[in-house]
Amino acid sequence: MATYCYDGSFEGLLTVIFRAFEHRSIPEQIISTEYKQLGLLASAFTVNTDELLAERVLRGIDKRTDNRGSRLIYHMFLSEQDGAEMTIFHLVKNLVDKGDILSNFGNPYVAKAYQMDKMIGREVHRMHAFVRFQKVADADMYFAIINPSCNVLPLIGEHFVKRYADQKWIIWDAVRNYGIYYDLQREIFIEPDHPLLKTLVESSKQEDCYQQLWVDYFNSVNIRERKNTKLHLRHMPKRYWRYLTEKHSR
Amino acid sequence: MSKIFEKLKVLADAAKYDASCASSGSKRFNQNKGLGNAEGMGICHSYTEDGRCVSLLKILFTNHCIYDCAYCVSRRSNDVRRAAFTVEEVVDLTINFYRRNYIEGLFLSSGIFKNPDYTMERLVRVAKQLRLNHNFHGYIHLKAIPGASPELLKEAGLYADRLSVNIELPSETSLQKVAPEKQYRDILGPMNYLKEEKEERSDHRPQRSKTQLFLPAGQSTQMIVGASPESDYQVLRLADSLYQRQKLKRVYYSGYIPIATDNRVPALKAPPLIRENRVYQADWLMRFYQFSVDEIVNEATPNLDLDIDPKLSYALRNRHLFPVDINQADYEMILRIPGVGVKSAQKIVSSRIYQKLNIDHLQRIGVVMKRARYFIKCPGLYNANSDISSKDLRSLILSGEQQNSLQLALFS
Repeated sequence: MATYCYDGSFEGLLTVIFRAFEHRSIPEQIISTEYKQLGLLASAFTVNTDELLAERVLRGIDKRTDNRGSRLIYHMFLSEQDGAEMTIFHLVKNLVDKGDILSNFGNPYVAKAYQMDKMIGREVHRMHAFVRFQKVADADMYFAIINPSCNVLPLIGEHFVKRYADQKWIIWDAVRNYGIYYDLQREIFIEPDHPLLKTLVESSKQEDCYQQLWVDYFNSVNIRERKNTKLHLRHMPKRYWRYLTEKHSR
Repeated sequence: MSKIFEKLKVLADAAKYDASCASSGSKRFNQNKGLGNAEGMGICHSYTEDGRCVSLLKILFTNHCIYDCAYCVSRRSNDVRRAAFTVEEVVDLTINFYRRNYIEGLFLSSGIFKNPDYTMERLVRVAKQLRLNHNFHGYIHLKAIPGASPELLKEAGLYADRLSVNIELPSETSLQKVAPEKQYRDILGPMNYLKEEKEERSDHRPQRSKTQLFLPAGQSTQMIVGASPESDYQVLRLADSLYQRQKLKRVYYSGYIPIATDNRVPALKAPPLIRENRVYQADWLMRFYQFSVDEIVNEATPNLDLDIDPKLSYALRNRHLFPVDINQADYEMILRIPGVGVKSAQKIVSSRIYQKLNIDHLQRIGVVMKRARYFIKCPGLYNANSDISSKDLRSLILSGEQQNSLQLALFS
């Protein structure tokens, strides 16, 4: 039993899984270096990310699962749920030991895996809904900030590319401090030092006008006789309000 | 610009009583780097304080109307502010809301001004401009105006994803009473015409050609519940026939809200929201749980039980079919267990191949045990209440959920 330490990347985690199998050991825990506590340093086994090994693990998973497994564990990884790394390890071990058990929802690791998958799936769906673009003044560019509870950016780009093929846009994850930029050709991940971010100035009068029209619309379609705060909050929890135009009445 | 603010307020307010909000089920893909995509799941972009979803820009083209339907806020004799958009204004709002990811598309309805064809022609023009001038592939739902000519309806079908004609009241007699200018003939006529047109096209269309979509998301309608004396049996039988004969994708139910002080409709203190909810649950049972209308309501029990959901109610009336053996029963029967949804039922069937399922497995799968336990048989579950009468079982389940229902009453 050992603590495995990796660089926090998906490939890093897959390399840990490879090494653990190589050592025929079951990790006590798998932790990302950024969360590594000082006390653990001494006993932790640090794994250097190896993309070739990571690829081998993915192929091994897909071979056993009719190509369903790699996507599932990627989603689990991005869900950032507590214990995601160890659940992924056990799921892979179960796949290796028992074959394709992904349809066996009675298996605790499979059940847990789909719970995490569901969690991030819901967050992805919410972000499809709750992204609010603002048109940047003097530029043909739309900008949105989100604060999702899972690391959804790698999973939501395609949806917005299909939808806004003819406009440039940036979606910025304020929690993880990175974004996606679509330049009419492809999507690129950008970091806080990207020069484009400095060009995002105050919005225009025209932008304010459309935002106000949206707020007015939102308020007009409410039916007061049917007020149902509990239901409202269940669908639109408060933690998302910060970047929702319609929840900022002006 | 200030005029557009006023118009939007009036015409969004007047459109909000239409319950339809779906933006799903179309097959319209973004092409040629255009704007918008309506291929997949619907998305609710926001939720109003009444908890209803905001998916489309739902507005009336105008609330001027030549008709005087008692249930409708825009009726001729009602003293309300009137307004009318221009085609360009609706197009501009749709595009700009869509670009900001506020909406999935447009739901455009209208009061009838001048005559049905004149009105329908305006709605079609909006859709046509969005598609042809703006390369817009988002979702468009248009009202099919009763009495509009087939040519216009056909054209609407070429640009819209969905058309709907509201049947409004659950019987012709009631409709006549509150909307003397309307007849079922005028409502079912366009539905039948559009159904046939769509079927004909799909029969003749060459395989894999996606170029000429015709109403890819089909038709829907809305029925007002609680404004007339019909039983739930009548309501659901009509819905069932609309699903079967007119091939509707959705029937919406709207608990009557006393918006109009008109003596042709009853004066209710609050909208019948619980009844509306039960009717929706029954509709779900018909569409996703393989129930027939008569199994849910019938001559003997024509109305849904307001205190318990229709699936539980069915189980209590048919105790001879329960308990269901989780490890043996057919999928169809698993679906009928209270506390088991479609997803859980599928998971049960796929997982029991690997091992005999016990109570722990069921919990992991997501079965609501405090509901299901009285209706199933599986290892690890001791059912002390198997001999209890349906009446006592009903009170037992209700008392366990009393706290919840109290809260429900507070918020509804």
